[in-house]
Amino acid sequence: MRIPVIIDCDTGVDDAVALVCALASDKLDIRAITVVSGNQTLDKTSANTLNLVDFLGYTVKISKGADKPLNRELETAEGVHGSCGIGGVSLPKARRHFYEKNAVDTIAEEALAAKGELEIIAVGPLTNIALAILAHPFLKESIKRITLMGGSIDGGNHTPAAEFNIFVDPEAAQVVFNSGIPIVMVGLEVTEKAYLTKEEIQSLRLWTASDGTNKVLKALLENMLEICTMFGYKGAVMHDPLALCFVLDESLIKTKAMNIQIETQGEITRGKTVADRYGVTHKKPNAEVGIEMDRIRFVELVKELFDKYSE
Amino acid sequence: MRKIPVIIDCDPGHDDAIALIIAFGSGVLDVKAVTTCAGNQTPDKTLNNALRVLSFIEKQPTVAQGALVPIMRELMIAPEVHGDSGLDGPELPPPAFEPSTLNATELILQILNTSDEKITLIPTGPLTNIGILLASHPEAKEKIERIILMGGAAIGGNWTPGAEFNILVDPEAADIVFKSGVPIVMCGLDVTHKAMIFRDETEKFRQIGNKTGKLVAELLDFFDLFHRREGFGFEGAPLHDPCAVAYAIDPSLFTAVDYFVEVETKGALTLGATVVDFKHKKGQKKNVTVVLDLDRKKFIDLMYTSVKNLV
Repeated sequence: MRIPVIIDCDTGVDDAVALVCALASDKLDIRAITVVSGNQTLDKTSANTLNLVDFLGYTVKISKGADKPLNRELETAEGVHGSCGIGGVSLPKARRHFYEKNAVDTIAEEALAAKGELEIIAVGPLTNIALAILAHPFLKESIKRITLMGGSIDGGNHTPAAEFNIFVDPEAAQVVFNSGIPIVMVGLEVTEKAYLTKEEIQSLRLWTASDGTNKVLKALLENMLEICTMFGYKGAVMHDPLALCFVLDESLIKTKAMNIQIETQGEITRGKTVADRYGVTHKKPNAEVGIEMDRIRFVELVKELFDKYSE
Repeated sequence: MRKIPVIIDCDPGHDDAIALIIAFGSGVLDVKAVTTCAGNQTPDKTLNNALRVLSFIEKQPTVAQGALVPIMRELMIAPEVHGDSGLDGPELPPPAFEPSTLNATELILQILNTSDEKITLIPTGPLTNIGILLASHPEAKEKIERIILMGGAAIGGNWTPGAEFNILVDPEAADIVFKSGVPIVMCGLDVTHKAMIFRDETEKFRQIGNKTGKLVAELLDFFDLFHRREGFGFEGAPLHDPCAVAYAIDPSLFTAVDYFVEVETKGALTLGATVVDFKHKKGQKKNVTVVLDLDRKKFIDLMYTSVKNLV
């Protein structure tokens, strides 16, 4: 049976790659894609999502969500994802529309329909997920699991203490981590190791193919590689695709159960995912935190999924 | 060989006591004074403990008591780790000498002002005394070679998930010290949790045959117990404070990297966190040499030789 999922994203270059992987996989039953603000403003992240999914030829419903964090002004990552949000990759405007319900209600609708089996893969700030849980408390019992890209236990990327997604909406993250829903935190400890080198990217089938789809996918990856190399990484870092791929193959990431709380008050630690390594708070673990990943097998999986577009 | 002039500011404490023993036994340091602060236990107990340990090893440097409470917070102590006396375990006779009539800040200042050479400060407790010194007499910075402190952590904490005990007790003092511009070496949990001593090694200290060796073994017998509890799951006892003294004696035993480090003074969960800017996100001048690893075997050897040199 395919896994019923909702993907919540703020597309975003690596969100786009995660969506490309998700749509190609035969293991997922994607019930909806919900969009949040984060990497860019909501109008851009939602348009990017709609245009990409339409371009790839899929009809999955896409809902718009929150245009700003729960208690704060939106901060975007324009420096990483560019002014359009997907690094200057141009997509034709979609011929279809957003789903009539917003992200919060779409999540509730699909959770009901999936009868306790729905999983969420959240790769942006957690605003939509938190709002859904707050507005529809039954979700605490009816969402099977939330696999999220966000946080870090060893230091941040947006600030010294915080990873971007959690930094953007720490209050939402605190709601989600304390919701009681099983959580897998795919944070920087593992995502920064999930890179594809230039050689690995050039070994994809699309590198030699020339049709429209492949051109766009190639541009996405090239853009990612360029940005990541600029930041000093060994290749294109696949933060969001790793979270997605974990759901496809859990053996890719080794996790450890920890209690995670989010700093919402700190002056220099806003959005830090504070991990209780030694059990000093005596709080029960609320997340499985990714601590190691198998890069070689991750790369193989990404290649397998990308190559489906060149068959 | 010229000895390195140092002042040790401590809150004994089992590991502080061992740090003092190494400082006097190494033959490398010229200990100009020992000052005490409140932390592991209340200020009168830490003063008494310093005097008792020094009397036991038959050394009588100038000892002065410092601040009784942190700069702006209630004192937090650690009887769980160090017992009611702050030095539970071994039998120690009462002190054989009296403390100075000066307070810690006055004594340190006097020594700095009359010294021809720069002096290294080695704080192994909360940074209250050093913070007060630097804030009240900024000109004294010129006479300080560097501050080699035990405290903080680049990753995680031990008293809360986000903070190490010494910094947590007086984060405002730590903030003053870290912003002071004086070169800082931070021996935090990153290295001290690797500076383990195991039971068979403790026995070797007992077997040296001098009374200091027996004292060290008995201190470790007690100190070991706390760290075997479930949360830490350590196989031995981490020699926190001795790391700072050992770094002063022989920095080549350690691996360290310079980073910009700030102290969180506002966080709800991260109060007292030493936030290390690993990725140089803030573009600030690197103010701290963060010690990350050590040659454990050589470190224990150094300790052993130092203890052997004493009565």
